[in-house]
Amino acid sequence: MNTILQTTVPGMHSSRSHIILDRLGSVIAVLISIALFAAPFATYRANRIVAGEGRMLTEALPTAGALGVTAVILCVALCAVLARAPVIRLAAAAAGLGAVFPALGWSAGFLTPAGNTFARVSPALGFWLLTLALALLAADALTRLRLGPLARLAALAVAAGAIAGLLLSGAWNDLSLLKEYANRADSFWREARQHLWLALGSMAAACLVGLPLGILAHRFRALRAAVLQVLSIVQTVPSIALFGILIAPLGYLAAHVPLAAALGIRGIGAAPAFIALFLYSLLPVVGNTVTGLSQVPPAVTDAARGMGLSRRQRLLEVELPLALPVILAGVRIVLVQNLGLATVAALIGGGGFGTFVFQGIGQTAIDLVLLGAVPTVALSFAAAVILDAMIDLAKGPSHDRD
Amino acid sequence: MIEIEHLTKRYGAAAIVDDVSFRVEEGTVAAVVGTSGAGKSTLLRMINRLVEPSAGRVLIDGQDTMAIPEDALRHRIGYVIQGYGLFPHRTVAENIATVPRLLGWDRRQIAARVEELLDLFGLDPAEFAKKFPHQLSGGEQQRVGVARALAARPALLLMDEPFGALDPVIRHKAQDELLSIQRRLGTTVVLVTHDMNEAFHLADRIAVMNQGRLLQYAAPAELLTRPAEAFVEQLVGSAERPFRLLSLMRVQEAVEPGTAEGEPLSVADTLHDALSRLIWLGREVLPVADASGAPVGRISVSRILAHGRARA
Amino acid sequence: MSLRSSAPRVAALLLLVAFVTAPQLFSFAFEPLTANNAPAIYNQGSLLSLTLSHLRIVFLATLASTMLALALGIFVTRPSGHEFLPLSRSLVNIGQTFPPIAVLAIAVPLVGFGEKPTFIALFLYGLLPIFENTLSGLTGVSPQALDAAKGMGMSPRQRLFQVELPLALPVILAGIRLSVIISLGTATIGSTVAAKGLGEVIIAGLQSNNVAFVLQGGLVVALLAVLIHDGLGIAERVAARRSGRPLDEAR
Repeated sequence: MNTILQTTVPGMHSSRSHIILDRLGSVIAVLISIALFAAPFATYRANRIVAGEGRMLTEALPTAGALGVTAVILCVALCAVLARAPVIRLAAAAAGLGAVFPALGWSAGFLTPAGNTFARVSPALGFWLLTLALALLAADALTRLRLGPLARLAALAVAAGAIAGLLLSGAWNDLSLLKEYANRADSFWREARQHLWLALGSMAAACLVGLPLGILAHRFRALRAAVLQVLSIVQTVPSIALFGILIAPLGYLAAHVPLAAALGIRGIGAAPAFIALFLYSLLPVVGNTVTGLSQVPPAVTDAARGMGLSRRQRLLEVELPLALPVILAGVRIVLVQNLGLATVAALIGGGGFGTFVFQGIGQTAIDLVLLGAVPTVALSFAAAVILDAMIDLAKGPSHDRD
Repeated sequence: MIEIEHLTKRYGAAAIVDDVSFRVEEGTVAAVVGTSGAGKSTLLRMINRLVEPSAGRVLIDGQDTMAIPEDALRHRIGYVIQGYGLFPHRTVAENIATVPRLLGWDRRQIAARVEELLDLFGLDPAEFAKKFPHQLSGGEQQRVGVARALAARPALLLMDEPFGALDPVIRHKAQDELLSIQRRLGTTVVLVTHDMNEAFHLADRIAVMNQGRLLQYAAPAELLTRPAEAFVEQLVGSAERPFRLLSLMRVQEAVEPGTAEGEPLSVADTLHDALSRLIWLGREVLPVADASGAPVGRISVSRILAHGRARA
Repeated sequence: MSLRSSAPRVAALLLLVAFVTAPQLFSFAFEPLTANNAPAIYNQGSLLSLTLSHLRIVFLATLASTMLALALGIFVTRPSGHEFLPLSRSLVNIGQTFPPIAVLAIAVPLVGFGEKPTFIALFLYGLLPIFENTLSGLTGVSPQALDAAKGMGMSPRQRLFQVELPLALPVILAGIRLSVIISLGTATIGSTVAAKGLGEVIIAGLQSNNVAFVLQGGLVVALLAVLIHDGLGIAERVAARRSGRPLDEAR
């Protein structure tokens, strides 16, 4: 009992009267100062190809605007250093982001000479540092708030809504990133659909196959060892290598089996990517199903048996519901992993957001890279938050977070 | 000798240990008892400064513990906790050698000491020295835990529920073993337990704590016959009182002249055990013999019962 | 390690070594996959030197991430760094939602083509699993063992080096293994930004429509990954046994 008391009791510091500087807040304040006073806020390029020149915040915005943004950000830094209440810190972070993001769009409009369609404005180090510092502050505040699953979903929805509002309002339209998008609006949404189809479709297939396989593997010991071993070897093979290995047999199939070709199976393209993602997804699904089922307390299954539940009833009414959080944790791993790996599919002609990433790498166009990378990261992040919330909900109110 | 003076630990406004003072004589065993949350462990942990006192002080042989660097202080004090905290990555021998190694003993000295302790605790060095903790039974782990605490020959041993994880049969054996080793080495022991039987079995004096305060610090018999507060009476168990009292006394104290039929009891048996035998055999009297087996008299049920009566 | 279970490993290793040192010996197997008299075996560089530079960058990046991640993991589990522990946990969680390819792609415009962006991506992404496992290893050390160590008068430094790190080692090694495997894959993609590595073979195959190249590149990378995964797994089990835990307890 007393070991608990040994560690410092939270809140003890705040009861002291003199001012205590928050250490994380100090780090954030330092980051903010560097970003504001020592790093360019935006990069200006006369056209898409030439090297860019950095513009400090004071040069990137009209004087009044620059002063206003600086003042807001400095207030945020002050909050980070002095305020300890997570709600205040979160509000400060939100206010800061609410100033920096529109400011970036504004600076793009300000820096681009009127009527010039070649000039490009991109975010520079200062903007990224500010975003990082503010995101750190927000993440720390959210961590300390220990929000419940529904509150976290709401926070995600608010953040997504704010970003959607920003994009729809046109405030960022002068930014190079959005110009790249405007040039490719059609293909952007096509690749988005392809990306989601690759990631979610292969995940769904893996669940359809993996759940029954996991249940069987739980029942039969010999099967379990073999299945898990094979799947973990598959998991070890790097994605591009697995794509490569699958291209040969699929190409053969396409060349020699007319039906396969008619179904759209080809050596190069989405088919090997889909199959590879499916194979990668199996291990987390099967593995977590087995783990989840084996963690059901024997006393519970025993009681269910004693009450005369059939094998099927036990599985559906007792074992699977109890194993659900662990199975969902497997689905979370799969989803985040697939959303990321699907970018690599573009390398073998499988489409998806990776198309922009690799095109961008080829043309050294960072904004094109971002056009592929940012949605991918946003999707993975949202998927992680949503699945984490679902896992907590599945655990029920009796379980504390953590 | 340990002197605890006005020892207090506060967390915020709550006093976990509230102005506790008592003294443990050289070579004796003091047990600290109380319900969970009474502040027993915190009190113990303030002796080796795992918890820094808010007020008060601890003197060991007259020296204030605050005057000794923390680590050096702990090197001198044996410490055994529930679950023992054996290092799973180290062998039994390496575990026992921990403090001697910290103190920089030379290798041969350490090896000899490890062997000596294993022998003392009835663990064959050839078999046990190289074993890892997870290969030991609960009782063996407990013995290694105590052996490790005694490795650097500390004059003081602190024990926090050291037998809590053992089953009743092994627990009793381990307690007897500890007692005999303690007598042999003359170590001063402060032991925290919530098991009253354990406290009565082992302790020369018992400190009863409740809600951070020390209610009574007295010899076991006195605790039974003159409880300071209702809480003490309740804790020692009013129904158990006569039997507890009898188990504190030896046949020696109730022997009367005369002879009797049957197998003799020893003068060293407790009156509790003697009464047990008499009831079980359906006898009024049994002969008593001394340690060498020579008859010294007899003991009767009525004499025993007289010893278990309340003393006004 | 029984002979039966290690036989496939040894065979796979021998096959890999034979293939990268004398790939021409295997051309018969890849010829059926080629068309129009295209070469069956990668001919734009030595497979051996590609393999070695692939391994080199993975090794260097992992070494760097291990050092930093260990230092950070130790820092946030000390009393002085405790304030950063909850945040660092969230950051690791968030960081892992970044696909490694995104890190790689973003590094290119910053530092240019070649080994540098690949190294940065491997280093940054490799930090996460090692840091995460260092955290869970260090915070998973039994509180009793720590209390006992403190009670016996071990200094914080002695506790760290003699108790906490040895006990956390198997978990930390598992993190390093994960990191190495991810890095092997990311380094393969690194060839798209002109880092020298085995990805070149696959990409050359994709560009020239030569399935034989794609397959042999894929097989070499896959074998390499499986063997390294396996080898590090053995190291982990040895460490787990050294730390006195039954084999199945340390994952």
